[in-house]
Amino acid sequence: MNMNVSTTNPVISGASAEKSPIVSLVNVSKTYIRGKLVALTDVSFDIGHGEFVVILGPSGAGKSTMLRCINRLAEPTSGQIFLRGNEITSTPRSLRKARQEIGMVFQQFNLVTRLSVIMNVLSGRLSYRSTWRSLFYSFTREDRAIALECLEMVALGHKAFQRADTLSGGEQQRVAIARALAQRPKLILADEPVASLDPKIARQVLDYLKDVSQRLGISVVCNLHQIDFAREYAERIIGLSQGRLIFDGPPSALTDDILNQIYGSRMESAVG
Amino acid sequence: MASHYDIAVDQGLVREAAWRHRRMAIRMLVMAGFAIVLWLSATRIHLSLTNIILGVPNMADFFGRMVPPDFSNLMSLVAPTVETVQIAAWGTVIAVIASAPLALLAAQNTAPHPSIYFVTRLFLNLLRSINELIYALLLVSAVGLGPFPGVLAIALHATGMLAKFVAEEIEHVNRGPVEALQAAGAGRIQIILFGIMPQVLPAVVGYILYRFDVSIRSATVLGLVGAGGLGFTLITSMKMFKYHETATCILVIILLIWAADAISSHMQKKLL
Amino acid sequence: MRRLISPAAAQPRLSLGGRAKFIFYMAGGAAFLAWSANALELSGGELFHSLPVIGRYIVRMIPPDWTALDGLWGPTLDTICIALWGTVIASAIGFPLGILAAKNLNGSRVLRSSALAILNVLRSISELIWAIFFVSAVGLGPFPGALALGVNFGGILGRLYAEAIENVDPKPLEALRATGASRVQTILFAVLPQVLPQIVSYNLYWFEVGVRSATVLGMIGAGGIGFELVTTIRLYDFRQTSAILLVILGLVTLIDQASALLRGSIVK
Repeated sequence: MNMNVSTTNPVISGASAEKSPIVSLVNVSKTYIRGKLVALTDVSFDIGHGEFVVILGPSGAGKSTMLRCINRLAEPTSGQIFLRGNEITSTPRSLRKARQEIGMVFQQFNLVTRLSVIMNVLSGRLSYRSTWRSLFYSFTREDRAIALECLEMVALGHKAFQRADTLSGGEQQRVAIARALAQRPKLILADEPVASLDPKIARQVLDYLKDVSQRLGISVVCNLHQIDFAREYAERIIGLSQGRLIFDGPPSALTDDILNQIYGSRMESAVG
Repeated sequence: MASHYDIAVDQGLVREAAWRHRRMAIRMLVMAGFAIVLWLSATRIHLSLTNIILGVPNMADFFGRMVPPDFSNLMSLVAPTVETVQIAAWGTVIAVIASAPLALLAAQNTAPHPSIYFVTRLFLNLLRSINELIYALLLVSAVGLGPFPGVLAIALHATGMLAKFVAEEIEHVNRGPVEALQAAGAGRIQIILFGIMPQVLPAVVGYILYRFDVSIRSATVLGLVGAGGLGFTLITSMKMFKYHETATCILVIILLIWAADAISSHMQKKLL
Repeated sequence: MRRLISPAAAQPRLSLGGRAKFIFYMAGGAAFLAWSANALELSGGELFHSLPVIGRYIVRMIPPDWTALDGLWGPTLDTICIALWGTVIASAIGFPLGILAAKNLNGSRVLRSSALAILNVLRSISELIWAIFFVSAVGLGPFPGALALGVNFGGILGRLYAEAIENVDPKPLEALRATGASRVQTILFAVLPQVLPQIVSYNLYWFEVGVRSATVLGMIGAGGIGFELVTTIRLYDFRQTSAILLVILGLVTLIDQASALLRGSIVK
């Protein structure tokens, strides 16, 4: 997999050297309560194949909202989002297809704790199976092979048949990553995936995420508020502040000045 | 896909199949057992779908005789409705008064002696197991018709239910405050009043409200055996073949129970 | 369903206005009770006078006449079967209606309100009245009893199921929707696993209640021990009455214990 060649210009988005982008946001805005609460204003960028992009910003900057607009868990007020050139609309068909190709990892893992680890990962395959089949909780052999493989990729194959709530936080998040991988996605959205984990475990999880992205060529858009993690893992950083995109470039171009712009007076919360 | 997972995946598939089949086997066994019990009971009580279908014309006839409801005597239903609520109210009040000492005697941590605990529990079980209607029947036979046996019937059953609930709450109380009071030299009664009661009060009050709600429901039918309230009006109208009035009565009962439920759950929520 | 409450938290924090309201409600309640007592002709005196009458009745019930147990085995089994099938029918009715009535599963307000309304009607009409209705439809015997119980409890269980579903952790639901799973698949994989223990618990509890209710259905010919019981009362055969009451006590206690055991093992 080719790595992206990012430009030296920190303001223009680094387009992929390869082909058309995986995901494009064009002038996406989101407001709540009929315009009184502005979450996002005019956000536009492209994500290329296999890129590992970190969205950096303090809490409340709109990172979560933006991520959710991509797979339409939140509905943008205006603007368009394209997945591999096709616009994502809210028709059930279009939505299901789009979501199938987009995996998501959440801050609180969002696993079904009563179910076994492998059942949780298998539920990532549901979009490929008919509702009738699912009534019997039945999956194909291919599904099971994929699920086991994804678990091996996050080194949890040996815990496949345990209940999800018997696993530690870091392990649960890895199961969540496996679930996203089971979809065979082109893109993974990670919404503050390590905010609930302590730094050592957090690094482990981010390692897995980065590893998987590089090996399988999956683009990753990862929300983080920790600056040092962003610097460590990102190939490209998008800085969001109060709903506006104010930085887009490699970590090397992230100066203190820009950081101040992003975080304002909340720098302390961003370090570690 | 990376090939060094293939071995692990194949092994995993074998383990997964074994795990799944074992779980299925247990579930099938349990379900089969349950199905057999259901089948035997069905034959015993002559459960029959065909009979239901054959009975539809009878049901239609029943409805036909009741619809449209006769609203002309709506005002005359006000008194029985009020009476029903009064019966439920006093039944609950007497139950609360009687339950207080009984609950203390029926809780392992407040009973003076294990034998008292056992006897009280047995007594409460006796009170609980007998339906209000049976009490009403016996009491009507003893003291005559009217709301008085109804009140006692509700009180007896509710005492059993309430005392058992409170006793269990008392048993599950947090030991900490109790021990603190013991260490401070408080007497038995004081420990109960200051250590135990405050802890169980919210749940108990909630349960009392629930029991009042249930009592209203029971009170509506006590009239069937002559113990006053709407039930009496209902059975009277049925015996006189005035089915249109029966329908009105049923509607009033529905409204009453619905109102009682709304008020009861509203108050229970306010408690939380 | 247990909450540990510290004594401090258990004290209701009432403002002055809140305290005034509390006193107002208490005073109102007391006034209502006083008025009721008058209307129902309840009084300490009435109770006092009736105690000896009741006492005499109790004396007439002792010692229990165990010959009543002859031929009681059949009706007892019938009672259990009525409660069993009543609970099964109740679940069958309550489950789909509960799903329709749950706020987090169903976007359509109309559908939700209708489902809730149906459930309310079902549970508000006492099982005895339902039993009368079903007896007229399918004849006497335990069958209409089971139907009556099923319909009435169906309303109750449906409401409980809807509440349980609404209290489910929404996060796995969101995650599953994000993978592209359909609504039904989301319910199967994210909602059901969470509510299943509660559903089983509810069913066991209401089966127990059902046994107690089924004992009286016999009064109107809907099968079970009730018929035998009422007969002994009508014949003033009170020693047999007490024997049957003790049998009911034994039955309910047994089922109570078994149910508590099963419910304990479900809480994992």
